[in-house]
Amino acid sequence: MSEVANSLINDLVDDLAPVRTLKPSGGMAVAAILTIAACSGVAFFMGVRGDLAMGMAHEMFFLRSGVLLMLGIATAFAAANMARPGVGNLNRGWIWALVTAGLFPLTAIAMSMVNGAPIEALRPAEGMKCLTISGLSALAIGGGLTAWLRQGAPTSPERAGWLVGIASGALGAAAYNIYCPFNDIYYIGLWFTLPVLVSAIVGRIVVPRLIRW
Amino acid sequence: MIANEETLRHLMIKAQGGDRQCYTSLLTECEKWLRRYYARKINPAEVDDLVQETLISLHRKRASYDPTKAFLPWLAAIGRYRWIDGLRKIYRHEHGELNEELVADPQDEDVTAKVSLERLLGMIPDKQADVIAMVKIEGLSIAEAAAKTGQSESLVKVNIHRGLKKMSALIESE
Repeated sequence: MSEVANSLINDLVDDLAPVRTLKPSGGMAVAAILTIAACSGVAFFMGVRGDLAMGMAHEMFFLRSGVLLMLGIATAFAAANMARPGVGNLNRGWIWALVTAGLFPLTAIAMSMVNGAPIEALRPAEGMKCLTISGLSALAIGGGLTAWLRQGAPTSPERAGWLVGIASGALGAAAYNIYCPFNDIYYIGLWFTLPVLVSAIVGRIVVPRLIRW
Repeated sequence: MIANEETLRHLMIKAQGGDRQCYTSLLTECEKWLRRYYARKINPAEVDDLVQETLISLHRKRASYDPTKAFLPWLAAIGRYRWIDGLRKIYRHEHGELNEELVADPQDEDVTAKVSLERLLGMIPDKQADVIAMVKIEGLSIAEAAAKTGQSESLVKVNIHRGLKKMSALIESE
């Protein structure tokens, strides 16, 4: 072994301190806490949709919540898992959750092709509010997840960026979802897809720079 | 002789707990393993630097090792990440002689075959792998690689860029 390598090894050994191994459950806990905080913020500042407050929520609310949470959890788990690299570790289960979530915009597009463009159902003013609040929630959740991921060693920062972006967008939209009173497929297909899409793109652009090692 | 998977795993678990003696043994064994891992996969003049950078990454990211899993796939993922990073930085360097002592892959053949750099190169199209090998590993110029493969110089550059990008997305693939 060369003298330089020997000296490097000595330096690294001198610097050794015990470490707690990184577990994906840590990243999931960060995402869960921030999602609950975002839900609490929405409930406190904006309120909860009427039918949910009365304990008789519309079936579309459950469908939408389930799909957003499933997408958020699957992608957050895949992102958290990337903190611990290993050849043969690829986790692709999140793709199925993404395909399922894609059913909302695809159904909206198909329905509007059959029934004509549903301009009234799109409600741009309420939609922009949805995008803004979901986006702010996504920012907080994505920020926490990124900070946690920085401790790990993701070998594909680009993929990690997509995953963090999709996870935080879906969980952020799930938080706003407890306020949003609209149930029609056109509104959901557009205004609950956009935050996930925008967040995914922002994640892909911003996160890799922050987690590269 | 390089320690086997089980020994390396045991040393790493002890090192995560702060055992300096085990950590010294682990780093010494990893240095030997990496030297063979990178042999013939990068310009020989770059091997020392690459091994050292990988050891520093191992040190900085040691909390990311999952003690319930095998050690070499983790080390190989870090090794592949640093290797692609190293290939990106290389343009044209003095081309050293290949060190014949180091051409053999590390032992633990079953594990090594799955995590090897050869396998990663094999996952991208041949035209990309060929120009990466010529320019980034053998040290040929872009013009020389273009003449040898029949690709235009700009296509060689594009193929190198695309190949490295594709490999970096496949680091954890077997």
